Amino acid sequence: MFKFGFWLQRVAQLLIVLLLVTFGVSMLLRLIPVDLATILLPVASEEERVMLRAELGFDKGPIGYYLQWLGNFVQGDFGKIYFSGGTENVSDHLKQAMPRSLLLMVYTQVLALAIAIPLGVLSAYRAGRRSDKVISNTLFTLSSIPNFAIALLLIIFIGVKFAWLPTLGYVPIAEGYWEHLKHMIMPVISLSVGLIATYTRLLRADMIAALREDYVTMAASKGLSDQRILWRHVLRPSSVTLMTSAALSMGGLIGGAIVIESIFATYGVGFEVFAAIAGRQYIAMQSTVAVIALFYVFFNLVVDIGTGFVDPRTRDRRVNA
Amino acid sequence: MRKFTKPTWLAISWLSLMMFFAIFGWALPFKSWNFVYEDDLEVGLFSNGHILGTDSNGYDLLSSIVAGTRMSIFIAIAAVGLGGLIGSVLGITAAYVRGKVDTVMVTIFNVGLSVPNLVLALALVSVLATNVDINQAVPTWRRVMVLIMSLTIVLIPILGRIARGATLSWAGREFVTAARSMGMRDRKIITKHIVPNVLPALIAVAFLAVGVVIIAEASLSILGVGIPDGASWGGMIARGRNDLEYAPHVLYVPIFFLALTVISTNHLGDVVRAQLDSREAKV
Repeated sequence: MFKFGFWLQRVAQLLIVLLLVTFGVSMLLRLIPVDLATILLPVASEEERVMLRAELGFDKGPIGYYLQWLGNFVQGDFGKIYFSGGTENVSDHLKQAMPRSLLLMVYTQVLALAIAIPLGVLSAYRAGRRSDKVISNTLFTLSSIPNFAIALLLIIFIGVKFAWLPTLGYVPIAEGYWEHLKHMIMPVISLSVGLIATYTRLLRADMIAALREDYVTMAASKGLSDQRILWRHVLRPSSVTLMTSAALSMGGLIGGAIVIESIFATYGVGFEVFAAIAGRQYIAMQSTVAVIALFYVFFNLVVDIGTGFVDPRTRDRRVNA
Repeated sequence: MRKFTKPTWLAISWLSLMMFFAIFGWALPFKSWNFVYEDDLEVGLFSNGHILGTDSNGYDLLSSIVAGTRMSIFIAIAAVGLGGLIGSVLGITAAYVRGKVDTVMVTIFNVGLSVPNLVLALALVSVLATNVDINQAVPTWRRVMVLIMSLTIVLIPILGRIARGATLSWAGREFVTAARSMGMRDRKIITKHIVPNVLPALIAVAFLAVGVVIIAEASLSILGVGIPDGASWGGMIARGRNDLEYAPHVLYVPIFFLALTVISTNHLGDVVRAQLDSREAKV
């Protein structure tokens, strides 16, 4: 049953979070002790700066500026990037960066889940045995190594010593799928190692709990094979936490992969934020952070809807909670 | 007395060594970390009196590591200490008082959590480290302060949410109701009954948070907004990227120290949590 009021409340909550995030970033800009127009146009005349202030709404006070930015943002005008030769639209930058980030995220998730699900099922099935311990400990150790360290080690060995893969840049799918993949392999591996460990761990814990339930005993007493019980009857209800975590990390991967994107020069959304901050393009920073938060909030909502489908029992539980 | 396993002992000894480096590193008879050994550029491990070798600028890596340990550990402990304190005060209060205060606090936490850690830290660092005169470089001590402040702000919602969750599960128990029915003041209930029970969960997360902060600091340094001049582990990695092709040991050394430290803190956090779970199971 679809609880309309509940979802309305949920969406409203997320909208409030979004508004507060963007408002917070907006206020943060006000903390900069230097006039923003001077930063954006370092070598302009005073008249041009006055015009810029009026155009961006800096002269309207904090709230007025925020409302003007918000109005533009909702209409798809994300502001401009200012440099000595003129301006570029932030939305054009994002149009280029977004597919890169999305592809990076999709590949990372696919790789992480493709490895984590079998490992999680295996280690839950053999819980406490040798293979479980080996899997758990190896993954735990690997996941503690920061992703930039993995990236640098991959570059040293696979990129430089053996020269198997290109270490820099991004090639669109249109220019050849194989080339595209070759540029994506190392960033994707660096990003997925940590996720594999998290996912395996979550799935293992949930599967072990689910294996104790009565319906498993029932299925076993009916004579179903272990394989069938594990993959058909236990995996699905055990995957709720896994799916939640996966969806939430999607929000984090868009924009959160800053270091990997800059090490491999993939130039996705994370790199756009970094470039905006490093180049003091504060309007671009505000809009890009807002886009990242938008994705995060969106995936949060997807989690709520998704878990209801995977495990119908949670639907009512959530409403009552 | 509980018995620790071998990996736990290893983790404890490694972290003790790092703490020793951080506190007494200046007193050890190492070479100067910012002295350029012009005759020993890019020498490998155990050569010319440089135990961990030098990088292409001629800096001695062992002394850089020891000096970097002080910086990285100091930043991590300061940020986790401050963030944990503020986060737990906010989280415990929110969960204990409930009602509107709780709603507001949860919303604030959600706002903080809806921006990826590193993006938030990056934005805060860039805004807080802007000088009034934008052409003047920001001095290192101010960068350190800004980093600590930014990472603290990043940690507050993460740790606050944990504190809130833990408090919620304890505030409803019988002994709290009993204490209240006997007329115990809220402040005293929190300090006597809630905090001691919530603390183990917070300590477990604090260990993980130390790892998160060390990684975040290194990431910011790699992006060029952290500690400059290779004065922290992250700074060393950032500088070592130039030597990646011809002297990769310049990268291996700081990566090894950083990774082992994070593995150790994560492991200890795990041990504390496992102990906590078994205690919960008995209750």
